[in-house]
Amino acid sequence: YPLYQLGNPQLRLFRPNWALTLVRPGREQPSDTVQFRIPMEMTKCDVKNYLEKVYSVPVGAVRTRIQFGSNKKRNHLNQKVKQPDYKVAYVQLAQDQVFVFPDIFVEKSSEEGEGSMEQMQKQFMEDEKQRQRGDPRRAGVTEWFGL
Amino acid sequence: MAATSAGRVLALCKQFHNVVRISSTIPSQNTGICLTKSSLARPNLLAGAACHICPVVQCRPLHTTISRMGLEEFFDLPDNWGESTVKSGAPWTVTLLRSKSNEELHKLWYLLLKEKNMLLTIEQEAKRQRVSMPSPERLKKIERSMQRLDKVVEERETALRLLQTGQEYARPADWRRNLFGKVVWHRFREYAIPWYMNATYKRRRFYTPSFVKPHIRLRMEKNLRTRARQADLEKKQLAKLKEKFPQMKASS
Repeated sequence: YPLYQLGNPQLRLFRPNWALTLVRPGREQPSDTVQFRIPMEMTKCDVKNYLEKVYSVPVGAVRTRIQFGSNKKRNHLNQKVKQPDYKVAYVQLAQDQVFVFPDIFVEKSSEEGEGSMEQMQKQFMEDEKQRQRGDPRRAGVTEWFGL
Repeated sequence: MAATSAGRVLALCKQFHNVVRISSTIPSQNTGICLTKSSLARPNLLAGAACHICPVVQCRPLHTTISRMGLEEFFDLPDNWGESTVKSGAPWTVTLLRSKSNEELHKLWYLLLKEKNMLLTIEQEAKRQRVSMPSPERLKKIERSMQRLDKVVEERETALRLLQTGQEYARPADWRRNLFGKVVWHRFREYAIPWYMNATYKRRRFYTPSFVKPHIRLRMEKNLRTRARQADLEKKQLAKLKEKFPQMKASS
């Protein structure tokens, strides 16, 4: 960052290269709190301004902490492998807004099309099962015995 | 750009520049500490324009309302939740970006940034739910587009600086000899006081003391040795191949 001396103009950042990641909270958070993973260089003021300017989200308060990434795990060469450290920001929305983390990976019920892959696979599995089953007239008795 | 598909098209489509002209009439307001008002200017010229150029673009009905709920833009469009693949166009190329004006590049940067945030959110949530992320190649495309945008902006800045002041580099730097006998490109730091008042700076030595000479000689010897060994190895390999394949043309 450029040097600041008394009387200098406010530091302005055009085209910030900071990417925010919205994460699902590990612990239960109040309904107005949104959890982000932010780059280490960002501050609370930076997060507030970022959200307000780029996303026009009214921000009340921001609290940050740095999460230490473990250095305990070892790879196949028995060398320690470091997981990267990251900064977490807890943003409380202003104006009594509420945020619920949505379920993005809901399984969609796929309709089987006529010539679709799923249809063919299902048919194939059913054919295989049919081959495995014995004569229905023997009512479950194995065919190993004669007669 | 979760809510507006217009922004989605903008961020990822390759050939749409013939179709889209981003309106540059929206003034950017520089308030607060860090950021300028982003490109919430919706490219209203996209509405009704047929996406006939890039066949990979998802032709959805385009609307141009500004999204109210800002945090929705951290997630994909709700139609895409649960899909295994999401279609996306090619990344921006340098030639394409050079044809854009500065205002358009500025707005595109913010669109790409928002898209990147959205993709990172999805990636993290996929890791959390232990599910594979749909179309992870989008991240690479966005990353490359942003790098190229940076490159174009830097080019323009250097050109302007050269014309106005004659300086090649924004940050002052110079060739300096360091302690190890190597001549390096030393980039200057910004200080509040001049160098002759800076005690720590004066303790730094930008020359090579005489006791380093043996080390330099050894280093030179090592370099020459490795280069000679490399050349010998290549010659031997060529000779071996030549023995096996006599008609072989001498290749590198």
